[in-house]
Amino acid sequence: MSKKGASASKTLVALKSLEFTHVLAIPDSESALLYAAIEKDPDIDLILPTREGESIAIAAGLWTGGQKPLVLIQNTGFMEAGDSLRGCGLGPRVPLRLMVGWRGYGNAIAEKKPIDSAYTYTEPLLEAWGIPTWHLMCSDDLPAIEQMDRTAEETSLPAAVITGYAFTE
Amino acid sequence: MIERMDLFRAVHSRRTNEIAVLTMSATLQYPLVSDHELDFDFLAFGMGHAGDFAMGLALARPERKTIVFKGDGGQLMSLGSLVTLGRYAPGNLLVLLLENRVYEQTGSQPFSARVDFDTLARGAGIQGGGTTGNGKIERIETIETFDEALPRLLTEEGPHFVICPVENHEYVPPTNHSEHAGRIRNLRKGLGLSVPD
Repeated sequence: MSKKGASASKTLVALKSLEFTHVLAIPDSESALLYAAIEKDPDIDLILPTREGESIAIAAGLWTGGQKPLVLIQNTGFMEAGDSLRGCGLGPRVPLRLMVGWRGYGNAIAEKKPIDSAYTYTEPLLEAWGIPTWHLMCSDDLPAIEQMDRTAEETSLPAAVITGYAFTE
Repeated sequence: MIERMDLFRAVHSRRTNEIAVLTMSATLQYPLVSDHELDFDFLAFGMGHAGDFAMGLALARPERKTIVFKGDGGQLMSLGSLVTLGRYAPGNLLVLLLENRVYEQTGSQPFSARVDFDTLARGAGIQGGGTTGNGKIERIETIETFDEALPRLLTEEGPHFVICPVENHEYVPPTNHSEHAGRIRNLRKGLGLSVPD
């Protein structure tokens, strides 16, 4: 496997090539470099709501108005945002594009056992919601973003990539 | 105190091409006065998030005003969103906070009598905030004042956060949880956008 963690600058290039207009982000330590890269970019508007459920509702409004947002949140916030995801994504068939930080993944792999319950419940929860998911663990996985984007578009339903390691430069 | 249906009638009589986002019991009566193609019922899309959705719409469609009618109980469920409005709300967003001091949707249980929405909104940075730096907070307590302010609220650059104490003595239709996908597609259609299957 390539170096752990996808390159933030290459991820930004991928997001721009897919013509994302907005990123709704609740910053966390693992997405900090991607957040910084997006913040400097003039082509994508970065919005920092106060909670993940807000992010999803704002993203749904942006999509309804003809824009293409990405929701960048951690798995813990994804769990917090369940009703918003149901009400603004799954129920009304809004093709939300999600990038979910998988807190606990790195330690679970390194220790060969779950350390953090946030790790344990992330994939089962995405599966329970019926959200197709791709792994973005290194830069070689960047095509996963395009797969996620295309699936959301084709199904008009939410789709996600999950990132197990902190973004690198 | 403003009779809620009078407020709805006033908005409907002056509205032209604005989007109107409705939510929960606070706005179940609005369809009795309006069947505009840009009415959007947020009911069951996520409690407390109507203002967030409306802000996304307003950002996406800067060429027209987005009006959101919010209940005060719903606002309490997403207090952090006031801070987001104070930073990111665009000039074409008009928030009408319908204040009746109860959780009407679930049986009108009262919330804390000490809550002050004007203070909360100011603390969140809405006054002088938003993307324009022109955010305004107002409290309008009579239908006459509201009717007089409406032309300005519908045309002046905001964002505006208007607190309207309301009461209701008229019929309230039942809650409708159906047609979520259809509602959102109808709004896209009304905005001239493609409608996914």
